[in-house]
Amino acid sequence: NSSSNNVLQARKAVEQLRLETELQRIKVRSAAQLVQYCQEHRRADPLLTGIAASSNPFRDKKTCVLL
Amino acid sequence: MCDQTFLAITFGPCDNCSQNKPLMNIYLKNEPINYCSLCVELMACQGLAKGETTNTLKAESESLKAKLEEERAKLHDVELHQVAEKIDALGQFVMKTRRTLKGHGNKVLCMDWCRDKRRIVSSSQDGKVIVWDAYTTNKEHAVTMPCTWVMACAYAPSGCAVACGGLDNKCSVYPLSLDKNENLAAKKKSVAMHTNYLSSCSFTNSDMQILTSSGDGTCALWDVESGQLLQSFHGHSADVLSLDLAPSETGNTFVSGGCDKKANVWDMRSGQNVQSFETHESDINNVKYYPSGDAFATGSDDATCRLYDLRADREVAIYSKDSIIFGASSVDFSLSGRLLFAGYNDYTINVWDVLKGTRVAILFGHENRVSTVRVSPDGTAFCSGSWDNTLRVSAYLRSSGESELRNILYNTV
Repeated sequence: NSSSNNVLQARKAVEQLRLETELQRIKVRSAAQLVQYCQEHRRADPLLTGIAASSNPFRDKKTCVLL
Repeated sequence: MCDQTFLAITFGPCDNCSQNKPLMNIYLKNEPINYCSLCVELMACQGLAKGETTNTLKAESESLKAKLEEERAKLHDVELHQVAEKIDALGQFVMKTRRTLKGHGNKVLCMDWCRDKRRIVSSSQDGKVIVWDAYTTNKEHAVTMPCTWVMACAYAPSGCAVACGGLDNKCSVYPLSLDKNENLAAKKKSVAMHTNYLSSCSFTNSDMQILTSSGDGTCALWDVESGQLLQSFHGHSADVLSLDLAPSETGNTFVSGGCDKKANVWDMRSGQNVQSFETHESDINNVKYYPSGDAFATGSDDATCRLYDLRADREVAIYSKDSIIFGASSVDFSLSGRLLFAGYNDYTINVWDVLKGTRVAILFGHENRVSTVRVSPDGTAFCSGSWDNTLRVSAYLRSSGESELRNILYNTV
């Protein structure tokens, strides 16, 4: 009786640990993907790299504006 | 693991033999099973695979425990800044105000960019909703709402209409006419009806549907043409203050945040609350998705902004400093997701390095609380609205050869 309980307990513990290891891997993988997204898109981010004043639509207003 | 896990706590029909007996509630492969004690014993004996004994299982358990400790030691609780350790740090940024939009008679509460990257709609405590051309600072349209405190406004994807609402408990849509003389209020369409104030609204991918959040604790999806309620979202236990739709590639979900300190993720079609996060210590004022859709940021009255990873189902970063003690009212990401712009009740805007968790810029200039911050659709600028009645558009300009390390002062044009 007690040995079958032990088997069940041990199996449950194994299952639990497998789950936790997998969860840990998911957390690491997901964080790494957030980082990767930033890196892949950094050149296309004007607020990150800055825009040359000449090509920025929000540069200082000129006196005449053609509508 | 102790024996107490096997104490019977329910009485009923056994899943296996159907006899009414005290049941043992156990989990096998994550499935809950209610077997009587006899069936549990039988199952345990039958389930013993060839060669598998208590000892072999114990050995496997020990080795897995060791592996897990190893993984845990490597990465602690996996904070984002640890994973991003090898990434280059950003320098200090100098961003300057390029446009100031003056015209509201009272606090600016909300704003939204048009997809054409130059028009802005803003709403105010004075009941006015104004559409501006941010390049020229000209006002293109103005509507006077029948209520004060217009807390929410949004631009339609087509650019042909705006939605707004507040203390009137409604969300109304105004088609924008090319004729400047036309009275916009005449074409007004009431779409949403809540039982308390409207805190936030957003069109979905088309002009046809609007998502709203309210002080009545719910969010709702509406059909614009008929005003019909398509779906309602219940789960918050207090006012919902903000919502944001997931970027279209990632499917039909949205996130909401509110006075119950919770951020909830919802499935738009089923109305189900699929994920919930509760780590903030005070009201969540604003929520915004990370550009990839795999995470979202929050700004809260607890003076912190936080980042939540949806796949890992947890908070992965906190953006805070001992010197920042006022609530964050509004947050938005730059295009790559590397920068987080956050407006605060201490009149400043802090710019955070999302990956490293450090602050890379502070913007001064507003003379009262910053209530709303939005990055433009093409990421070239961001607009901030404030209780000082103005909106400011700021950008990071590179000047060839010039040093940009000067004091950041409010700069009108």
